[in-house]
Amino acid sequence: MSLKYMTPTEQFKKYLPKDYVELVDYGPFGKSQDEAGVNNIGQFKEVLEEHPMCSGCLMAYFIRVFFAALPNPEDTVTLGTAGCGRLAISQAAVPFIYGNYGDQNAMASGLSRAFRLRFPDKKKDVVTLAGDGGTMDIGFSMTMHSWIRGEKFTTIMLDNEVYGNTGGQESGMSPQGAILKMAPEGKKFEKMPATELAKTAGCVYVVRISPTNIKKTAKSIKRAILVAREVGPTFIHVYTSCNIEYSIPTEEVFKDAKDQEKDRFSFEEYMTDEAREVIERIEGEEKKAKKAKKGARKEEVVS
Amino acid sequence: MEKKRYNMRVSGLGGQGVVTTAHILGSAMDNAGKYASLVPFFGSEKRMAPVEAYVRASTDPIYEVGEVVYPDIIMIYHPQVITHGKSYTMPFYMGLKPNSLVIINTDRDVLEPEDIRVLTELKATVVQFDATELALKIAGTELATNMAMMGMLLGLIKLVSMENIEHAVKERFLGTSFVTSGGTAALDSAIEKKFKKKEKLLSKNMEVISKTFEMADSVDLNSGKLVFQLAV
Amino acid sequence: MSQNARPKLEKKIVDAGYLLKEAPRTQQFITGAQAMAEAVKRANVDMAIAYPITPQSEVMHLVGDIYAQGHIKEYYRAEEELGTMSAIAGAARAGVRMFTATSGPGLLRGLEAIASWPGHRIPAVLGVLTRVVNAPLSIQPDNIEIAYLMHCGALVLHAENQQDTFDMTLAAFAIAEKVDVYIPVAVATEGFFVTHAKGYVNTTPEDMALTPIDPTAAPVPAMDNETPPARIQRDAPVQKSNFMSYLIHAVWQQEIWDSNKRSMKYIYEYLGGPIEVQDPEADVFVVASGCAAAQAREAHRYAQEEGLSVGFIKVRSIRPFPVDEIREAVKNAKKLIVPEHNIIGWLCKEVKASIPNSGIVVEGPRVYGGMTLPVELIMAEIYNALGIEHNMKL
Repeated sequence: MSLKYMTPTEQFKKYLPKDYVELVDYGPFGKSQDEAGVNNIGQFKEVLEEHPMCSGCLMAYFIRVFFAALPNPEDTVTLGTAGCGRLAISQAAVPFIYGNYGDQNAMASGLSRAFRLRFPDKKKDVVTLAGDGGTMDIGFSMTMHSWIRGEKFTTIMLDNEVYGNTGGQESGMSPQGAILKMAPEGKKFEKMPATELAKTAGCVYVVRISPTNIKKTAKSIKRAILVAREVGPTFIHVYTSCNIEYSIPTEEVFKDAKDQEKDRFSFEEYMTDEAREVIERIEGEEKKAKKAKKGARKEEVVS
Repeated sequence: MEKKRYNMRVSGLGGQGVVTTAHILGSAMDNAGKYASLVPFFGSEKRMAPVEAYVRASTDPIYEVGEVVYPDIIMIYHPQVITHGKSYTMPFYMGLKPNSLVIINTDRDVLEPEDIRVLTELKATVVQFDATELALKIAGTELATNMAMMGMLLGLIKLVSMENIEHAVKERFLGTSFVTSGGTAALDSAIEKKFKKKEKLLSKNMEVISKTFEMADSVDLNSGKLVFQLAV
Repeated sequence: MSQNARPKLEKKIVDAGYLLKEAPRTQQFITGAQAMAEAVKRANVDMAIAYPITPQSEVMHLVGDIYAQGHIKEYYRAEEELGTMSAIAGAARAGVRMFTATSGPGLLRGLEAIASWPGHRIPAVLGVLTRVVNAPLSIQPDNIEIAYLMHCGALVLHAENQQDTFDMTLAAFAIAEKVDVYIPVAVATEGFFVTHAKGYVNTTPEDMALTPIDPTAAPVPAMDNETPPARIQRDAPVQKSNFMSYLIHAVWQQEIWDSNKRSMKYIYEYLGGPIEVQDPEADVFVVASGCAAAQAREAHRYAQEEGLSVGFIKVRSIRPFPVDEIREAVKNAKKLIVPEHNIIGWLCKEVKASIPNSGIVVEGPRVYGGMTLPVELIMAEIYNALGIEHNMKL
């Protein structure tokens, strides 16, 4: 159990960095989502606190929500590639593998298979988080083939519709007509149909979302990870606007995200029957456990 | 032309079993406690496209690898290698060392005056015979052409015994997993049927090889004669 | 992916020293591709990832068979070489023993990932079955790709023949995983000349396997959330400032190349050293690696039969390059002949850079495009070097 490895002895504690000790004592490791999840952000020490992202960045906000929503942070490994996202992801207290350009889904294929080899009885969650360029342009073949092979891990595309980190160039996910660097006359073809590609390539659970509702966002992340453990590849296509390259005033970032909900990022949730079974089983069990807990508390009060 | 080392170039067309012969030659040398190395050279792997293989055979260990650029023995499996230029090496005797041997499968004399001039200068011996016809006559299939060619070669230079050859041919067609004694009863009927077919193939191939050994006896490599035309 | 369904083989586990130096051996007459696969069979490999390219494919077909027989736990065909090499990098992070093989253009396609393996501390073994990479394209065994590979930080061993291919591949796993090395090892040999040609190989018993990988015995522990220290330190110092980024890259890469150098003692231990020298007192040496060494060995034999003062040096290890060993071996030599299977002469450049009197180095003979290197060409250079008149009609 990995949590044990994180936990220092009392004697050793004073020699460790304060941040480390606090993460062990007050972090989300070994705790349930009710104790340390998106519903009580601010009441526990989050795995991601500091990041160098632009002020008002929706991607930084989503990444924070993502880490808070992890069902099993102490046994999760994230993988990513060059881009804005990894600047924050790499500063979380969850192992992160920073690979080469666009190779995150190929690496995750190897990693998740190797985890199943070494730890057949444990649940080790593997999640790739890369931008639209990393997922759908330079990493396209590796993304698609990991899905086609049915690799059991979660792919999250942080779609800001532009190469933000390299200075605002057009990507395959930029909307048609957008005037960006390397598209001086405006983008001449349509935004790539990422969720359709995912479904065609064999993803068993696919969500497109603009992350305006924290609970809903966290629920999708959790479902994607749990289904990937048992069934097959899962994909979340999330809007994480670039307020710099698309000139969105900081105070309007959230409004823009809401607008996008009615436009290119209308909520979509797709699941295969097999994925649905897993979700219903797990969520049913959770509900039952909650009810039992509530009942027990009521009894306590009554008695 | 007895030598410590023979470097051979085998030229033919795709489907003639050029590479198979090279493998069998290698195994036969191995069985005889001698040394051999072989290199197949494929172009695009198509039927009737040029194919070359190279075999080095020696009484000492062999270090060098790769195609044989300067051979002492050249085997031509199809007259079109010469007449149509279906070859990686043109003319067919390119690189041939002095005092060497050429064996050609052909139903007619394919040597042009220019070839005869160069080959005479090199003091070569050229053996021409219709290996395809021989294969058809004895084994009932053109597929045994390579056996006729190999038989002729080994009949001429006596590198290995008939037993060594038979063992190598067996290895090639029956595979090492097939044991002719015992065990076979355990094989299921499907495999057994296949096995019997292969046994038949093997014996036909050996008949072809024996015949070419006989034919080779009529050739004297030290006679100084350039061309031997053998009737089938 | 149920592990229970996989065949289970009983094997005797032995350490690398025993397996390579003491274990009984039996002779087989097999191709270089088979030799590489036979080594993988005995190396207790956890996972192999395959992608086809001529002439490599034969190796990974055979490794696939070995997987089906239960010698390897996981195997799949990847999408292309960058995907293959990246998946190796991912899997190795979980602390498993990895193998793949490629050729020429495939190596270059995967090179972005391969060049990052040492820095990621990936102790994987990579088979390189050489092939033409530049246009006009061909499938033949030119070995110019090694020039690209030798600056990646990985160890590069160059096999002369099928036996070397077996021994070096097996040794590669042991050397790669040494705690003071822990970087990838590439085992290169020429396509077709070795991969598709049969040679005599003394192999260790099939039911004897190398000690499994120990993911805790690593300078950078596996990212398996099991191996302490747990990675919950939240810092990405490379981003803090440009100067931090320079410094961190610099010290990290220095450590990689130091690791590369430190592997030399294991090359002595398991492979008898980075070079082989015959006739150390000779005036003229033929210095070669890989297949060219086989041709050079033959030339050396011819020279001996003719009573010429010719020595032979085979270079087994291209990285680390045996600078000291070569300088010592040729200190009294008058000429060095460096036959190669590529147009740029990467070995020639390395040899020249290793000695104070590089003027004694003859640049060649070289063949390129994957052509064979006729022993006669080396003989011609030997005669030239010794001032012997010859008319070889080449």
